[in-house]
Amino acid sequence: MTRITKAPLDLARLCRATASPAHGASASFVGVVRAVHAGRRVKAVSYDCFVPLAEKELARIAAEARRRWPVTVAVEHRVGRLAVGEASVAIAAGSAHRAEAFEACRFVLEEIKHRLPVWKKEHYVRGDGRWLPGCSLKKARPA
Amino acid sequence: MKRVIELYGRLRDAGHGAVVRAELPPRATARQTLAALRLVLGEDLAGCVLAATDCTLAPNDRVPAKGRLAVLPPVCGG
Repeated sequence: MTRITKAPLDLARLCRATASPAHGASASFVGVVRAVHAGRRVKAVSYDCFVPLAEKELARIAAEARRRWPVTVAVEHRVGRLAVGEASVAIAAGSAHRAEAFEACRFVLEEIKHRLPVWKKEHYVRGDGRWLPGCSLKKARPA
Repeated sequence: MKRVIELYGRLRDAGHGAVVRAELPPRATARQTLAALRLVLGEDLAGCVLAATDCTLAPNDRVPAKGRLAVLPPVCGG
């Protein structure tokens, strides 16, 4: 289960979606907008996204995690303007044992950061803002 | 052929809005398209890639005749 959404994220729903009686582990990650970055006080972050490609890429990342580990994975990325404390990304991974659940969760997050066509602009308390630098997709083009 | 190309991230804030229109040669490659965009935008597109609806394009890939086109600056999701 993967999704790009404007709606608030619900980690419990993702954990339920990856649950199984065969699983002894459920690992999760939630990325949250923080109040300070690089010494600047942040009041919100806007997430921009090329949705059709992002939906495909998120599904590819989840499929790659399933090929690498015996896990079920659910992941959602939010778009739009988020206030401090709101979740921007949520990942759940369920598996028989903890190691593969942790590893799959970390893998999905790192791939999102390098491959998902999403951009974030920080809005500062002082009223200004800036787009954060990122990773070129030139290095991450899927085969 | 005139094509609409979507802009994202910092490129949207460069005063061009969410889309630009660029004249592309027939069977243009992604490299040719980015070169045309550089002229239209007056922007350094280092690190940017061209994307069709559901895939990124390598420099020598032909731009699909139909569907969405977008220029994607370096990403930072999560």
